[in-house]
Amino acid sequence: MASPKALKAASREKVGKGAARAVRRDNQIPAVIYGGGEAPTPISLDFKIANQLVYAGHFLTTVFEIEVGGKTIRALPRDYQLDRVKDTVVHIDFLRLNAGQTVRVFVPAHFVNHDQSPGIKQGGVLNVVRHEVEFVVPADAIPESITVDLSGLEINDAARISGVKLPEGVRPVIRDRDFVIANIAPPIKEEATPAADAAAAPAAAPAAEAKK
Amino acid sequence: MLQPKKTNYRRAFKGRIKGETKAGASLNFGQFGLKALEPERITARQIEAARRAITREMKRVGRVWIRIFPDLPVSKKPTEVRMGSGKGAPEFWAARVAPGRIMFEVDGVPEATAREALRLGAAKLPIKTRFIQRIAD
Repeated sequence: MASPKALKAASREKVGKGAARAVRRDNQIPAVIYGGGEAPTPISLDFKIANQLVYAGHFLTTVFEIEVGGKTIRALPRDYQLDRVKDTVVHIDFLRLNAGQTVRVFVPAHFVNHDQSPGIKQGGVLNVVRHEVEFVVPADAIPESITVDLSGLEINDAARISGVKLPEGVRPVIRDRDFVIANIAPPIKEEATPAADAAAAPAAAPAAEAKK
Repeated sequence: MLQPKKTNYRRAFKGRIKGETKAGASLNFGQFGLKALEPERITARQIEAARRAITREMKRVGRVWIRIFPDLPVSKKPTEVRMGSGKGAPEFWAARVAPGRIMFEVDGVPEATAREALRLGAAKLPIKTRFIQRIAD
C-alpha cells in the first residue's frame, strides 16, 4: 500500500465547458472532488504535475491529500480523461474519502515466473484477459498491484483469481465465479504466404465484376 | 486481406473524416499500440502490409490485434472512359481512420521489439503515427 501523496490544487468557481477550457488555457487541468456526502468541489491542478502523476503509474490506487483553499481533503482518483490524440491529461475525478470507508478499485495485475511456465517455454503467448481486477478494499489499504504466478501453466491453461494471494480485507467484486485473469494461448500459426494471397486476389476480382 | 463478408450495398458514398476519433483511442488488448495522428483512408492492402511487417519483426512471437476494419468500398472508373454513365466499379476496401485511433496493438514482446515492429508497420501506412504504451502499473 502506498502512503498518501500531497497535492496542491486551486479551487475554481465556474464549472462547465467554457470555464474548463479557460482553465486549460492557463496551463491548468480542471478536476473535481466529489462524494463523501458533500457538494462537489471543482478544483484545478497544474498541467505538468498532473501529467507526471498520471504517467508515473499507480495513479488510480494512490490516495491523495489535496490541499485546496486552506483545507486538506483525502481523496482517491476515480478516473482521468486523456486527450484522444495527444494523450495529455484533460480532466481528473477524485472521490472524497471518509474514515473507514471501503471503495471499489481496479488494481493492476502483475505477472511473475514467466520462465517457469512450460506453456510459455513451448512458444505459448501470455494472453492477459484482465490487466486490472476490480476489488472492494478499505480506502486506507489499497494494494498497489496483485501478483499472478504463472509457474506450471501449460498451453491453454488459465490463471484464475483463486490462485492469487490477496492481502487481508481485499475481496474481488466478482464473487460468483472463479474468473480468469490470463491464459496461455497457443503459438501463432504461420502467416499466409504471398503466393496464397496472390492466388486469392484474382479470384475475388472477377467475382466483383460478375456482380456488376 | 480484410474485407466484409457481405454488404447491404455494393457502392458507398465517399464521405469525409471529420474531427478526432470517437472510439478506439485507448489500448484495449495489448501493452503497446500504434496511434494515428492524421485523418486518412487506410486500404486493406496497407493494413495487410503493416500487419506482415509487424509480425515478421516480432518473429511470430507475441500477439497482434488490428483495431481498424476496411468496410468502405472505394470505386474507380476505368481509364479512358468518359464522365457520366454511373459510378465506377468497387476497386478496393478502405477504413476511415480519424486522428487518435489506435490501429494496431501488440503484446507478448519486449518494448524494444514492439517499438521496432510498429515502426516498420507504420512505414507501410500513409499517415503520421505515434507509438504508445500502457501506463506503467
